[in-house]
Amino acid sequence: MFEVIMYDGGVYRSAELFELIEDVGGAVLQRIRSSQMLTVTMSIPSKDKDVVVALCKEIGGEVKEVSLAGTEIAVVGMTLGRHHMPHPICDIAEALRRKGALTIVMGLARGRGKSTSQISASEVGIINEYDAAIFSLGNFKSCIEDKKEMMKDIKIPLILVCGPKPDGIEDYCEALVTGVGRKSERMRSSDERKKLDEIVSIAEEVLYEKRMSVSEDPLFVYPSEVKQVLENYPPLDMCLRPSPIVLHMDGLRAKIPYDENIKAISDIMIYDRRLGDIAVITESKLDRSSILMRIKTRSEVEYDDARASKQA
Amino acid sequence: MDITVRGTDPFGNEGYKTLFSDIMNDLGEALAVEKAELVLKPEIPLFIFSVKLRSEPINKTIADVASIREEGSGVHITITDERHAPEILNQMWTKYGRNSVDQQTRFDMNVSNANFKEVSETIVASGEETLKEVIGSVWRSMPEGIRVRHVFISGTVVTVLATEEIMLPEYMKEGADVHIAMGGSADV
Repeated sequence: MFEVIMYDGGVYRSAELFELIEDVGGAVLQRIRSSQMLTVTMSIPSKDKDVVVALCKEIGGEVKEVSLAGTEIAVVGMTLGRHHMPHPICDIAEALRRKGALTIVMGLARGRGKSTSQISASEVGIINEYDAAIFSLGNFKSCIEDKKEMMKDIKIPLILVCGPKPDGIEDYCEALVTGVGRKSERMRSSDERKKLDEIVSIAEEVLYEKRMSVSEDPLFVYPSEVKQVLENYPPLDMCLRPSPIVLHMDGLRAKIPYDENIKAISDIMIYDRRLGDIAVITESKLDRSSILMRIKTRSEVEYDDARASKQA
Repeated sequence: MDITVRGTDPFGNEGYKTLFSDIMNDLGEALAVEKAELVLKPEIPLFIFSVKLRSEPINKTIADVASIREEGSGVHITITDERHAPEILNQMWTKYGRNSVDQQTRFDMNVSNANFKEVSETIVASGEETLKEVIGSVWRSMPEGIRVRHVFISGTVVTVLATEEIMLPEYMKEGADVHIAMGGSADV
């Protein structure tokens, strides 16, 4: 079992830390260097956590628990208009990032209004690419209840954040956080900060459940192991986009064009198997320059093997 | 600013009271508004936002927002209302040229070869502009997507009603009733 932790400290003796991560078979998920300061999010085997934590402290840094690291979460507002952005949507995204999640903020094209609000199939498709989604709705109960239809096609865990408590939405979302609603200012009062903490802890719970369900039929290979291999693939190594490889709970997103790289990516070998055989590789619906990889479970790979040997 | 909220959703009532106050403060309209009444019926949906201004929006001249005195062959302006400072500077540059305007501090400037009467009567804010800003602030505080709107304006009272589909006569009557209750005239 792997655990994700974050080192926050200076660059002094950081080479030793990277060496240790490699020695224990871990992976660096994200490395952010700002002047002499360094933040490293890493995935390491649970049994070696104590050794890594000890070294982090020895070199003068501190270790933070980042329960949402290795996940990508969509925070969805009804539009990108100033009625919905930047508050509270960006505040929620910021709170999630503090716990290690990668977030995207998304506004629907026609989400405004009550009976005229809509979500398109392509928007649903984009949202379904993430590990979880947080929908931020407003202050009116009847309006929120009307908008539940927009959530019915979302297949990933969905957390609804809104003002009053709506009725009859239990089947449409995994969790509900009330008391937020529409805001024109940053959420910085102590009550509002508590509300953000509540949203984060609910996101942790929801994603923990998803993680547990994934572990019932484990993935053939950990996404962080695939990331390590992909890091040596030149187009990704040279990619200038922030976080060129993003970890998901059941796979990865590689921010390079699909058409140009699909063949080479599929042929990359991991544990003597082609990546194309142990993962479902598709083009991201978000834009044409990302590749999504959903790693197959062990049972799926065994099934594929059995079918292939039968055909042979 | 005194805000009264009437509506069918208790959370929404409280939320919109804060929201309206915050947005008016952010946009600098809070001082211009004496009182406001918000009617929130999200189930229809129908929203009526009525504001009573402290004074009727009229054209403002430099004399209204600054103290002016003659100095030699020019005029010295001391701005008293900061909001109009950029427009005063812009008007003086346009009329007398940049070389004639000597801006000593943020609020003080000497305009050489300027006519005292001409400077004091220069309009720096039109009443229509002020009204537009107030209506814009009200639209911004209303829920998004409620696009079918009607505005009543009479004297110092501005009432905006908004719904999502057809503006029915009964909505117009309800809006007019709120407008009259706020001090607006009945012939709108």
